[in-house]
Order: sequence, then C-alpha cells, then structure tokens
Amino acid sequence: MQYVEINVTVNGELYNKTVPANKTLLRFLREDLFLNGVKEGCNEGECGAFTVLVDGEPMNSCLVLAAELNGREVLTVEGLAQDGRLHPLQEAFIEAGAIQCGYCTPGMLMSAVALLNRYPHPTRAQIRKEMEGNICRCTGYTRIADAVLLAVEKMDTAEKNQSPQRNQKVLAGTKK
Amino acid sequence: MAQHVLTPCEKYQREGHEWDRLVVKRKDTDGVETVVGHSQIRKDAIAKATGTAQYGADVNFPGQLYGACTRSPHPHARILSVNTEKARAVPGVRVVITGKDYPEPYGQFIADQPIIALDKVRYQGETVAAVAAETEEAAREAASLVEVEYELLPVVNSIEDSIKNETLIHEDWSRYECSSACFPEQGTNIGDSFHLNKGDVEKGFAEADLIVESKFLCGQLQHTLIETHTATAQANPYTKEIDVWTPNQSPFSIRGLIAKIFGVPTEKVRLIMTDIGGGFGGKYEAKCEPIAVALSLKAGGRPVKLTYDRHEEFEATVCRSTVQYYIKTGVKKDGTLTAQLVTGYWDAGAYVTTNPRVDYNAGFAAVGPYKVPNVKIDTYVCMTNRTLGTAYRGFGVTEAATLHEHQMDIVARKLHMEPLKLRLQNCLHDGDYGVSGDLIMTCAVDECLRAAAENIGWDKLPDRWVDEEGNLCGKGIACFNKLTGTPSTTSCVVKMNENGSLFIWSASREMGQGVTTTLPQFAAESMHMDLDRISVAPVDTTVTPYDKTTTSSRSTFHSGNAVLEACEDIKKQLCKLASIKWSCDENDVTYTDEGYIQRISDAEQRIHIHDVGKSGIMHEQLPVIAIGRYGTSDIFDPPPVDGRQSSRPTVMWMIGAQAAVVKVNPITGLVKVTKMGAAHDIGKAINPTGCLQQIEGAIVMGIGHALMEEMIYEDGNLRNGNMVDYKVPTFMDSDVETKITLVENGHPEGPYGVKGIGEPGLVPTAAAIANAVCHACNTDFDSLPIKPEHILFRKEVND
Repeated sequence: MQYVEINVTVNGELYNKTVPANKTLLRFLREDLFLNGVKEGCNEGECGAFTVLVDGEPMNSCLVLAAELNGREVLTVEGLAQDGRLHPLQEAFIEAGAIQCGYCTPGMLMSAVALLNRYPHPTRAQIRKEMEGNICRCTGYTRIADAVLLAVEKMDTAEKNQSPQRNQKVLAGTKK
Repeated sequence: MAQHVLTPCEKYQREGHEWDRLVVKRKDTDGVETVVGHSQIRKDAIAKATGTAQYGADVNFPGQLYGACTRSPHPHARILSVNTEKARAVPGVRVVITGKDYPEPYGQFIADQPIIALDKVRYQGETVAAVAAETEEAAREAASLVEVEYELLPVVNSIEDSIKNETLIHEDWSRYECSSACFPEQGTNIGDSFHLNKGDVEKGFAEADLIVESKFLCGQLQHTLIETHTATAQANPYTKEIDVWTPNQSPFSIRGLIAKIFGVPTEKVRLIMTDIGGGFGGKYEAKCEPIAVALSLKAGGRPVKLTYDRHEEFEATVCRSTVQYYIKTGVKKDGTLTAQLVTGYWDAGAYVTTNPRVDYNAGFAAVGPYKVPNVKIDTYVCMTNRTLGTAYRGFGVTEAATLHEHQMDIVARKLHMEPLKLRLQNCLHDGDYGVSGDLIMTCAVDECLRAAAENIGWDKLPDRWVDEEGNLCGKGIACFNKLTGTPSTTSCVVKMNENGSLFIWSASREMGQGVTTTLPQFAAESMHMDLDRISVAPVDTTVTPYDKTTTSSRSTFHSGNAVLEACEDIKKQLCKLASIKWSCDENDVTYTDEGYIQRISDAEQRIHIHDVGKSGIMHEQLPVIAIGRYGTSDIFDPPPVDGRQSSRPTVMWMIGAQAAVVKVNPITGLVKVTKMGAAHDIGKAINPTGCLQQIEGAIVMGIGHALMEEMIYEDGNLRNGNMVDYKVPTFMDSDVETKITLVENGHPEGPYGVKGIGEPGLVPTAAAIANAVCHACNTDFDSLPIKPEHILFRKEVND
C-alpha cells in the first residue's frame, strides 16, 4: 500500500496527515478526523449524503481520494456553525421543517451552501436543479427548498442590519 | 454568541403563490390546548442539522473489528461445501463463520431463516459466510475468498412459478417452529394465507345489475433508506452478555430474536438504539444484528461493526413484495355496491418474515372504506427465490388501496357515474358496519374525499383534457382505510430530575416521524410545563420499558396514552411531596390546569411546576417517577381465521384520501404530476408541522411508487440493485402543487383524540396518480409503476 502525505485545511484547521493512496475523502473525514457528519449512503456518488465542499465546490466525498487534497480547503457540516451559533441555513432547515430522519441533512446543507455561493438569490427552479443530486426519502424536498429561501431571507436581513459575518460564512470554503 | 431563538416557520411563499398546506377541519376536538396542536421545533433537529446526531455507522469502539459477508451469487442452490481456508489466511482476519456455527433458525411468524445459509441458499445475496477482520478492506477481501461449492436448483422467479409448486423453496414447513398467526401449506410454496368472508358473495353478485372484473399488479420496491443497515455488537462468549448498537425500529422484538438465536436469556441481550437514517418498515427485521453478534462471540468478545453497502441493501435486506390481485365487484345500476371478491398473491421472497402481517393488514383493507354487504377475500403469501418482502410504510394497505380504487374507477366508468360521486355514495359513515362486521366509529372518509377533491379543484376539471402543449391531462382520486396492529402494548416511565425537568423513557423510536417531539408535547400539555424541560431519554432495552414496535402508525396513539397516564401519577406524587412540606393532608393539595401544585384550603400556598426543582419539596424525599401503560388486548375481538369477522379488529381505523392531476406527454410517455390534494383524518394534529411533513414526504415517495420504482428480476437475478438503475424521486420530481387538509375527527381512545399519520400519507398516493394517468390516457393500466413504455403502447378503453 502506498501512502501519501497531505496538508489539507478542513473547517479552517490545517491537518498534516499521511493517508493510504486509496482512501476516500469520506473515510478520511470520518475515520481520521472523526467528522461523522459526512455520511455514506451508496459509495457511488448517487445519494448525496456524502456531499462536502472542496474549495467551495460541492464534491462527492465517496468518489474523491484524500490523497488528492493536498493544499486544498474542505468544508463539512461541522464547519458551518461558528462560535456556537448556527449558520442561517441550519437555522432555516430547523425552522422550515426540512429535517426528518436527518441522514441526508448534512449533505443537503453542503449542497445548499454551494448553491448560494453560485446563486445568492436562487429561484425554486434553481434550487431543484442544483440540489437534485441529494436524495431525501422523508421530506418530499419542498421544505428543503423553503428552508433555502428562508435562509436567504435571514442573510439578507442580517446584511441590512450590517452584520457582515453572516454572509462571509456562507462563502467559507471558497478559495480566496 | 447566543443562539437565535428558533421558531417554526410555516406557509413559506412559493414562487409568488402561497400554497396553503394546512387547513384544519375540526369535528370533535376542541383545540384549546397550548402545546398540543401547535407546531413545535423538532427536539432532534439541532443535532441533525449540525452533523452531531449519532446514526448506526457513527458508533465506534476501541478494538473494534469490521464484519463482511460472503453472499450467494445464485438465487437457488444447494450448498455442497464451504471452504474458508483462503479467507482465514488474509492478514488481519480474526474470525470466519458459516451457517454451521449458529444453525438456530429465526423468524417472527415462522422460524424458517438461518442467520447464515445452512444447507441451501434461497435468494441471490443470501449470506453463506461472514468474516471479522481488523479493517473493513481485509474483511471484504476475505469474504470474497470464501469458496462455496453449489449445486444449482431450478429458480422460482415469479408468483406463477411459485403457485405451480413444482420447485419448493421450503421442502418441509413442519420442521420449523411456527406461531399461531401463520399458516404455511405443507408441500407447497404457500407460506401463509388470509381468508375473510362477510355475508354471501354469490348472493351479492346475483343481486347486482353489473359485474366488473379486473386485476392489478404492484411491483417490487426497495425502501432505499439513505442509511444502509448496520449494527455493532459486543458479545461476551463467557457470560453470554450481548450488547448491540443498531438503528432498528423494533428493539424488543430484535432482543427476543437474538436471545433465541444464541440461546441466551432475554435479559442478557441489550439493544442500544442509535438514530435511524430512515425506517419505513425497512429496519423492522433483524438483518446485520445477529451476524455482528455471532462474529463478536467468535472473536472473544471484541466489538464487531457490520455495515451493508448499497448493493447488499438492495439484494440482501428487505423489500416490498410484488402483489398480483384479482377483483370482482357487483354493483346495482344506481351505484350501490353489492359484493366484492378479492384474490391476491404476494411474491414474498425466500423467507416468510413479516409477510403474514402484511397479508393480514392488506386483507382488512382490500375493499376499502366502503359499505359492501358481501365480501370474500382470499390472499396467499407465495415463496419465490427473490429478496425478502416485509413491511413498507403501510403493510400492504397501499397495494390494496391501489386495487380497490382502480376498480372503483372502472365501475364508475361502466355505470357512467362520476368517480367521486360513486365513492361518496358507498363510503362508510359512523354507524355503518365495516368489512369484519365491526361498527364504524369516528370515520371521516366522506369529509376526506370531499376535501381532497376540493384541494385540486376537482369540480372545475373534466375527467380528461388536452392542454395547449398537447399533453394528455387527467384527474384521479383515491381513499383508503387502514387498521393499526391490535392488540399491542406499550409502557413508559416518566422521571422527574432533581431540577424539576422530565425524562420520558419510551422505546417508541424516532425515525424522522417526530415521536420524540410529540411524546414530550403530551407531557408538557398535561403538566402545563415548558416543552424545553421535557425530553425522551436514549433507548436501551435494559432500562427502557417495553413497547411492541415502532410500526403501524401506532406510536403517538399508544405511547401518548402511556405518557398521559404516567403524568397523572407524577402530579399525584408532587402533591404528596408538597403536603409533606406544608405539613398538611395530601388530599388538601391539587394539581391545577395552570401547572400549580396548590393547597385547596389555601390557594396562596402553591408551587408552579417550573419551580418544583428549587422549591425543595423533592429534597431527601422519595424520587418522583411514574409508570404509564397502554394496551389494546382488552378491547380487541380476535378475528377468527375462518372468515375474520370481528366486532373490534383494530383500536382505530386510519382514514384519508388524495387526489391527483397529471399531464402525460404522448410523444415521450413521461408523466408529470402537477397537483396533489390530500386530506387525512388524523384525529388530532399534535405537531401540525410534523403531520404535514409526513404527508408531503409520503406524496413524493408515492410518485416514485406510481411512476418510477421497480426492482427488476430475471431468473432470480436482480438487474437494478443500485441507486443508478433503481430510480427514486429527486428534487426535480418535487415540483408538485400540494394542498393538504388535516381533518381532526377525534378518536375517543386516542390521547387528545389522536389517530396515526406515519403510513397513511403514502397509502392513497400511487392509487390517485394511477387513476389520474388512466383517465388522462383513457386506458386501464393494470400495474404499477406506469412507465413510458406502458403509455406509448397503451390500449384505450372503449366501453
């Protein structure tokens, strides 16, 4: 087995790790960094529960090798809340009733962050299209779209009230 | 930084239209409560939104081994030999086991299934050996190196093959221990059968002006839970103490099965329940649990984690059985139903599992919520070499509803009657007698049908029309009635902590349906207490009191009653403690509706429930802890096997209706569901958002069942056992204008009038969509899913 040394930033923390060349990002995050928020659903890129952001782009962590991540920046659901305060998307998912069994939720949240990086004021059609790779069996999806729109509203209000850190956080994980 | 106060947010604007999801029609309940009946933030939401909820595969222990299974590539074969030598030689492998290690068979209704195949395999993917190793890679590699010599046997691929009885899946049913609720037929592939007789169907058909016969097939479905099956076991080979961490829906039934399989006393088996990443009936059976236990026992008690991958999930866990139904209906010219005859065959797969219960529940629902004086229902659980059928959100009632609602539309067409009118004319009302001769009470099927229809603007729409783009459009409606598992019992313990907060110990499992929020709501309402101070404790069978299972939409009804009973006792205990503190007679203290423990003779002397902790009344006194119990054995009239007539087959009937509008592209054959109107008699909405979540999610799930999902087998080989080829609805399928009415027709025995809503949201969905597609295309599609090829090669009706 070949091993690779990587320097990777995960949720703002720099990690220096030696990983087997064939280890997926999903297993690296779960087994080496104990970030259990990233979920395994199918291991073939179909379910979306594995979604994390790499340099701001949504990635199938089950199909990416940890060894490829040298010098890159990863954001997982554990990196969304800051200073013990939930991200507006997390608040909105809770308030709009977008969570049931919750297994898809971390992946959904990460896809939603990526969506808002791309479309800060998305339409429902854009939400559906951008998030179609995330499967949810419980909610029927509509409340997840509701939650994204509610989060946008929250972030807009925060911006109006001159609290810029709310919006910066959405862009966390984007390579500066 | 302080956390924002989170509040439920309903009725969000959708693209400029406010689609009203919550319309409450109150019939009996008063709606004066302050916690019950008001939408609440889910208790489990923050953990789930932050990635900190602990699901099955998130459990890890130091020194843990990883399990993997060797699976049969053949659907039906005799096992001639199993050679584990190469597997054992893989570095890191600690244990390899085969069927001979733990040959005790198990099964809820009939013990026909070994944990690892013994003499033959009966479905593709059946476990033939299992491995535990230091790493998952080593375990999977070793599992692939187990050499099995098979002698292939003829494959029973379909119901038709099964009922010929030329090849028997189980040669001798009499070898198995069988419960009194299962009736296998010796020398056949029939694992169970159900027979219901009411009145005289021949007489009913003789009285009819019109006889209509049709058939309907519902295809085989996989639950496709996003969390695959998993279990972590630590089993001490010397003391035989067995601990299992698992996301399972039925801790106590799995505890019993494990005790039996391993021959240990029940109390030595401990099930610790993790969060569940989707249940829907799929996590009702023992799957990973016994194999993980077996591996741990052989590994000297080291913890073993066994997690199935997605392919194993499809071929080797459980599914919803295919069912082929035949129905014959007698009806008078004026639309009055006189008789209904239903015959059905379930493709139950290779082992009986829960199929007798599916068959039973579907049997009681097979004529629907209609007045039919003469009924005969005969259904059979047929064994095949396919994966195992089990409960799937509705226990067969979804399939039964699809059958009778498809038939009602054919009857309406032949009588030139409006489909909704035919249903309203025949539907059950309070005081009518149901299919088992039971007196119908608190039945709002009439209201539900009307409300569901109104929610899509039924009266303004023709049966079928063509839109400006040339799409074929149609509307359809469907209603249902479903029983809940009766008799069943539950219990809970409510414990007051030193600071005056409450823990509820209940084994009703949270699997997304919201029970860990509704149970505290009952306690909060009863005690007039802040909901934040009440929570459901983690579930562990060594401390959590018994609950039958988290199935059959029973938890809120049953456990809610138990919680209310315990809360009454808590109030009494608090009054007693206050009387000690106040040195007065305990009969001089009462618990008020406002949550005060108050002296009757001196209203000034009182303690609010929120101040109990600091009041000192509990200091150095007996702990405040109460038991709540609820069971339905006393009201249950057991339906005898010859005809199943009973005055009370179920403690409650769940009732509802849905209507659909679809447009069908005649060039591509693709169907788009544009509108869904739903109305469900839930008795009482405890957490209205939770009720809507159940129905909205079920509707999208039902779109998949109606139009996409189907497990495809050829000669016992599963052809689409992965999420690429087995299509479930995605975000792109969710663009459906949905309007839901919650009908609150309180049940006298339900806590605050509640019934159940976990399964019902799904039951009429596929039926309503199928009927709409049939109308749009002027075709009697007689199977689900309705796929583009069916639409493109349709045969229009001309009667």
